[in-house]
Amino acid sequence: MPAAIETEGLTRRFGNRLAVDDVSMTVPKQAVYGFLGRNGAGKTTTLKMVLGLIRPTVGVARVCGLNVARDRIAAARQVGALLEAHGFYVNLTGAENLALTATLLGTPGTEIDRVLEVVEMRADAGRKVGGYSLGMRQRLGLARAMLGAPPVLVLDEPTNGLDPDGIADMRRFLKALPERTGATVLLSSHLLGEIEQTATHVGVVNDGKLALEGELARLKADLAPEIVLRTDDDVRAAALLAGHDLVAFATENGLSAALRPGENIDRAVAALNRALVQAGLSVFAIGPRARSLEDIYRRVAAPAQRPAQHQAEAA
Amino acid sequence: MLAVLSVEIRKLNRSLASLLALAAPSLIAFLAFFIVLRGQRAAPWDMFLQGATTTWAFFMLPMSVTALTALVAHMEHGPRAWDHLRSLPVPRWRIYAAKALCVIAIVIVMTGLNLALTWTSVSVASVLKPAVAPTGSPDVAKLLLVNAKIVAAAILMIAIQLWTALRFASFVPALALGIGGTFFSVVATSAKEGVFFPWQMPVNMMAKEVWRVETALALGGGLGLVMLALAVAHLARREVL
Repeated sequence: MPAAIETEGLTRRFGNRLAVDDVSMTVPKQAVYGFLGRNGAGKTTTLKMVLGLIRPTVGVARVCGLNVARDRIAAARQVGALLEAHGFYVNLTGAENLALTATLLGTPGTEIDRVLEVVEMRADAGRKVGGYSLGMRQRLGLARAMLGAPPVLVLDEPTNGLDPDGIADMRRFLKALPERTGATVLLSSHLLGEIEQTATHVGVVNDGKLALEGELARLKADLAPEIVLRTDDDVRAAALLAGHDLVAFATENGLSAALRPGENIDRAVAALNRALVQAGLSVFAIGPRARSLEDIYRRVAAPAQRPAQHQAEAA
Repeated sequence: MLAVLSVEIRKLNRSLASLLALAAPSLIAFLAFFIVLRGQRAAPWDMFLQGATTTWAFFMLPMSVTALTALVAHMEHGPRAWDHLRSLPVPRWRIYAAKALCVIAIVIVMTGLNLALTWTSVSVASVLKPAVAPTGSPDVAKLLLVNAKIVAAAILMIAIQLWTALRFASFVPALALGIGGTFFSVVATSAKEGVFFPWQMPVNMMAKEVWRVETALALGGGLGLVMLALAVAHLARREVL
């Protein structure tokens, strides 16, 4: 069974600048795939190649097994997209904007009511888009992407411009989408927290290269476990940890130290606690630290920064 | 293609295209109205209608094509709608071809309106001042044929203006080109070289010399259609970054 989206060695050069460099990514069917990276990392360029909006210099993009460069129209029938530039006609109402796209897609008019219902925009559908807030435009864009119920949704920064309630709604909506409709969602963002709470899979792009990709739960599990501790003397505690072959880093809430991959965290915490108490230190808190997407992101997107920065802090 | 055309027409309906389509020929009709009122003696119908046709061909048509193509292009440039349109499962050439067809259709309507509004305004003026009421009856068939040729000869100019307006997100290149083209059309209306100048090809349909009419028609219409097809193909193929 082909992946919902698959790229092989996708590369795009603009003059001398390499915007996307040999990106091979796989978005499994019914996944919510968070495509992460800094602004300018190459996310939008990659998405544009997936949508057939720009041609790759080298490489292939496939949507549901269809080669986008060779059969753009068939591939485009599988995709609904929400792009950074919404492209709404502000002198038309929300419903009229959707009707234009529905005509081009050849979908029945009933689809318009359905998608408006899904994004809870029926009440405002008769108003001109010029009077919409950014959040409303974002929801209307999502409704437009869902016209014709395409199996794949490509969403470029879907939470841009949304207020906190809107972000929470969008998060819930996207998370439930694969189960409700069977759709696959590829969403790009630079907001780690949003992706962490929404995505089942992640891909991190850094300077045009895909630095990491995989199932989010597995990536988190693969990280070396870390403990955090707070004592009355962190300098002595750090020295004691060093005696146990552990490098301690100063954090906002005390010290943090990475264990060896596979090490039993409960036993390690108990042993360290014992050692700290025996050394006469008062231990205020000690325990495992939950691993986050930020840990994964920092490890691959800015590998050179962390040790230098944190060791400096510890010293 | 019908779906793309219907979308284009719905978008144009809600823009100011209809105002533009009415405004430009109305100005010529107003001019004719006051020319009749200022007249001292009656003149033949053909004089007024040919005068309106000439004014349309050398000045108002190039200006209208400039404004109309800029409007059609900015319906997409303004809201940055290209990415959305071009990501849809529709052959891209159809999107551009629909725009070209709409522009040509509106130009045909405006050319017809120019005659109809001029006829109306001259009629109203002659009611107000019966002494200068036009004499004779206009040669409608001849007028329609000349106006049809004017539209056909304008296709090369339309292709150039439309390509420029769609190619550049800023309206400045298309406006500068249109204003420049119209300027030379106005200041050198009778120049023989005008048969080779796209903005002057329409007015050459009024020329006395047959070779001028035929050359300008062949270039404006024949080469115009080829250029229009090439423009559509190029716009469909190029990347909009």
